[in-house]
Amino acid sequence: MISEQFPALIVVTPLILSFFIPILGWWRRSLCLPIVLIALSVCTVFAIGLLQTVMTQGKIHYWLGKWQPPWGIEYVVDHLNALVLFFVSFISLMIAIYSKKSIEQELPEHKIPQFYTLFLLNITGLLGITVTGDAFNLYVLVEIASFTAYGLVAIGEDGAFVASFRYIVMGTIGACFYLLGVGHLYIVTGSLNMADLSNILPNLYHSKVIIVAFAFLIIGIALKMALFPLHAWLPDAYTYAPSTVSAFMGPLMTKVGAYVLIRIMFTVFKPEFSIGMLQVTDIMVWLGVAAMLFGGIMALSQTDFKRMLCYIIVAEMGFIVGGIGIANATAIKGAIFHILSDAFMMACLFLVAGTIMYKTKGHSISDFKGIFRKMPFTAIIFTVGALAIIGVPPTCGFFSKWYLLLGGIEAKHWGFVIALLLCTLINVALFFRVIDKGLYLHVHALEHASEPAGHHPEPHYDEAPLSMLIPGFIIAIAIFLIGIFNQAIFKNIIEFAIPLRL
Amino acid sequence: MTELFAIEYRPWLAILCPTIASLLIILSGRRPNLRESWTMIGSVLLFLTVISMTPFVLKEGHIRCSLFNLLPGVDFALDVDAFGLIFATTSSCLWILVSLFSIGYMRSLEEHAQTRYYFCFALALLGAIGVALSANLVTMFVFYEILTISTYPLVAHEETPEAIYAGHKYLAYLLTGGLFFLFGILMTYLLVGTTDFSHHGILKPALGSTSKLVLQIVFFCFMVGFMKAAWMPVHSWLPTAMAAPTPVSALLHAVAVVKAGVFGIIKIVFYLYGIDLMRELGLGVALGCVAAFTVIVANLYAIGQDNLKRRLAYSTINQLSFILLGAALLSPMGTIGAMIHIPFHGFMKITLFLCAGAIAVIAGKKNVSELAGVGRIMPVTMMAFTVTAAGMCSIPPLAGFISKWYFCLGSIQSGAMVFLFVALAASVLDFVYFFPIVRNAFFERPAETRGGGTEIRRKETGRPIYLFMVIPLAITGIFSIILCLFPNMFHIFDLAQMAVRNLFGGV
Repeated sequence: MISEQFPALIVVTPLILSFFIPILGWWRRSLCLPIVLIALSVCTVFAIGLLQTVMTQGKIHYWLGKWQPPWGIEYVVDHLNALVLFFVSFISLMIAIYSKKSIEQELPEHKIPQFYTLFLLNITGLLGITVTGDAFNLYVLVEIASFTAYGLVAIGEDGAFVASFRYIVMGTIGACFYLLGVGHLYIVTGSLNMADLSNILPNLYHSKVIIVAFAFLIIGIALKMALFPLHAWLPDAYTYAPSTVSAFMGPLMTKVGAYVLIRIMFTVFKPEFSIGMLQVTDIMVWLGVAAMLFGGIMALSQTDFKRMLCYIIVAEMGFIVGGIGIANATAIKGAIFHILSDAFMMACLFLVAGTIMYKTKGHSISDFKGIFRKMPFTAIIFTVGALAIIGVPPTCGFFSKWYLLLGGIEAKHWGFVIALLLCTLINVALFFRVIDKGLYLHVHALEHASEPAGHHPEPHYDEAPLSMLIPGFIIAIAIFLIGIFNQAIFKNIIEFAIPLRL
Repeated sequence: MTELFAIEYRPWLAILCPTIASLLIILSGRRPNLRESWTMIGSVLLFLTVISMTPFVLKEGHIRCSLFNLLPGVDFALDVDAFGLIFATTSSCLWILVSLFSIGYMRSLEEHAQTRYYFCFALALLGAIGVALSANLVTMFVFYEILTISTYPLVAHEETPEAIYAGHKYLAYLLTGGLFFLFGILMTYLLVGTTDFSHHGILKPALGSTSKLVLQIVFFCFMVGFMKAAWMPVHSWLPTAMAAPTPVSALLHAVAVVKAGVFGIIKIVFYLYGIDLMRELGLGVALGCVAAFTVIVANLYAIGQDNLKRRLAYSTINQLSFILLGAALLSPMGTIGAMIHIPFHGFMKITLFLCAGAIAVIAGKKNVSELAGVGRIMPVTMMAFTVTAAGMCSIPPLAGFISKWYFCLGSIQSGAMVFLFVALAASVLDFVYFFPIVRNAFFERPAETRGGGTEIRRKETGRPIYLFMVIPLAITGIFSIILCLFPNMFHIFDLAQMAVRNLFGGV
């Protein structure tokens, strides 16, 4: 049965196909995108297959080359990472469809094959990080994802080069920390397999080496997922990257980082250790609170739309980390659901940023002027994304906030609850500022009243191409569907994804 | 096919009418006549759907239907009961008349962005109907937020700096309120595990597991959450929101939005806390004091306003708190008064606003001080204004009299004589700020004709489009008389009695 091979195929297919892109692209550039589309559609099918198998039969263990763990590399798919696999492959597929026009405009033609190669490799890395059950293999795949990301950022507009360099420095430090952590674990336990580690480790929980290893791992991941105050690389990198790149890295990279955090904290280490013994979760809640407020306030002060979104990502990571830090079942469910819903919301908004960029050649908030008249469909997609981030029901953003707030109240962590509500208000201000720009034309005319009259013709209809709108619409509809059918997701997937013994 | 119109689908039909209307409106943006006919068809169908549920509800008590599961223990569900129907009937009936008026108003002024206007209007009605019919707090929250967000572009419609400012203030107030509301829902859900409304209140069991103080704080959160009820001191968004076009002020800021707030608070009082718990926690008195304060102070503010719409806005604030006061008495008669005052005040206040709009468009006057002689230029409008202003002062035979009568009975019934005096004092103050307008309009000569002998011309029939404005306001004016003589129109009185019977177990 081929379905047994899905865990390996989901990584191997894009990996192998990505090597064909430069070769075929050298022969004919128009072939690059179809290969990416094929690879990602196949991945999406695999991911759906895996999700179904996991839902019906439970955890899947796959031994690469039939080597038994802990010696061989093991791929493990459970409810948590099946969900992550699904949204990573689905969103990247949507972004790939969307990328055609955007990339043609933003990049010189000879860079297109390189771009798609890196793009597919990056997704390979993200899928691999998610599916692997081996701590060292995870490091290798993190590096694949990161190195391609550095390259992808660097091909962006002016300033991308410096941003990418900063990203390299910070990202490499993060990877080093992670590797050091894995090294410490290996010294003490002699094992790299996550399941094996989690069996061996409980006897060693009092060892200082283990505590140091844990700290290294968490800080390494925190750097990769741009957790405040280690977020400094993110706003520059995602602002200057090409629109397509920020459209898939914004939603996906940080979310996969959050997934790894949950994996390390609750699978490799047990909740008794990370919550009970070290009480690292207390710090995490407050870091989350700080991230929410800092991200929100910084976002308020931006005039550039993409940079504003970047700071929103920082704030949203605060939601997730705060939810994990609350450490009761409700809040962790909320955090996991927020990983899912935030991926879709951010994808939606970054898609809009790219579409606006395509039409106006800029991504500052003032470029949104009159979009409700000029680009009504883009405006609808944008509104859906904005309402979801604000958390208006029945979009998915409401339900993750519901669970996070419920968890916060259950734990009586009022700081977190108030910060989350405040952050919601900040989001309202953020997005209605943009909506105002798009909606009200006359007030802009009044601002420039000194100019001679008649210089403000009604903006005429000038919508983006369908290949950019359709992915946006699909994601916007998904935002509603995830919200409306959130109970199905909770009952079938997330209930099983939270760590036991909470 | 006929099954689709079965009684259990009617509530969804009511929700669908404005939804589909709004979509059709946005799709036919380039053909104004088609677009306006969608509004009219949608509003008439909505009204018929709502009305058609009344006999069934009167017989069986309520219609409940749920669509899907939102959260554990919480469905996305509608539950049509007597009280909800009163609010739904009022909003949907007035939507028809205001749509007519809107056509006249918007076309006379050749306003911009009319598609957006009609689209948001339909969405706002969706929100109001949804709030009226929702079965639990979460569903209500969904519609409540739809109502808030869809009215924002309407408030800022003029797109002048003042209008934008008003829009921002509106959003800032109401969405902050929304967060308090959300917090209240979360606490309710944590305390009792459900958010479904019930005749006896659902929070009573929570008293075993938590302290009185927590329940009082939660009640306060709900009060702030329903900031749309514009009780003082969280009222100031309402006068500012008068920057909106007049039909918006008329329907939304006299009926749909503010009544959604009042409706919500009454739902919280009776269907979430229940009468016993309200008494035990002393919240009835607290709510009564806030409301009584607002009733008096809002009237004092109203006297000082020169802008006609702002004066009406303060009058609205006063009347809304009057409804709250009726509920706060926790007596059957007072509750009947509060419930029937929702439609009665709706009909009267909408007439006043429509008059203000017609005066602004036809005579070009917005301030009270400029109204001298308007009664001669626009006799029908000012007659309607006079009649309903008298209704506001609770003079029989006008609708306001009935509700005040029941309110006074209620305050005697519950022995709260202070509130009786508040109500009577409020009527006197109402008179103080409405009477000069009427006197000026009829007994003074218009400023332009005072010196010379220019002939006074009646302007109401000056252009055919004006009839779209004058006829609806005449209809609502007549309604406010009919409602006093036949308070049972649309079964409003039966519904109120039934709701109170369910709540109190007999009048």
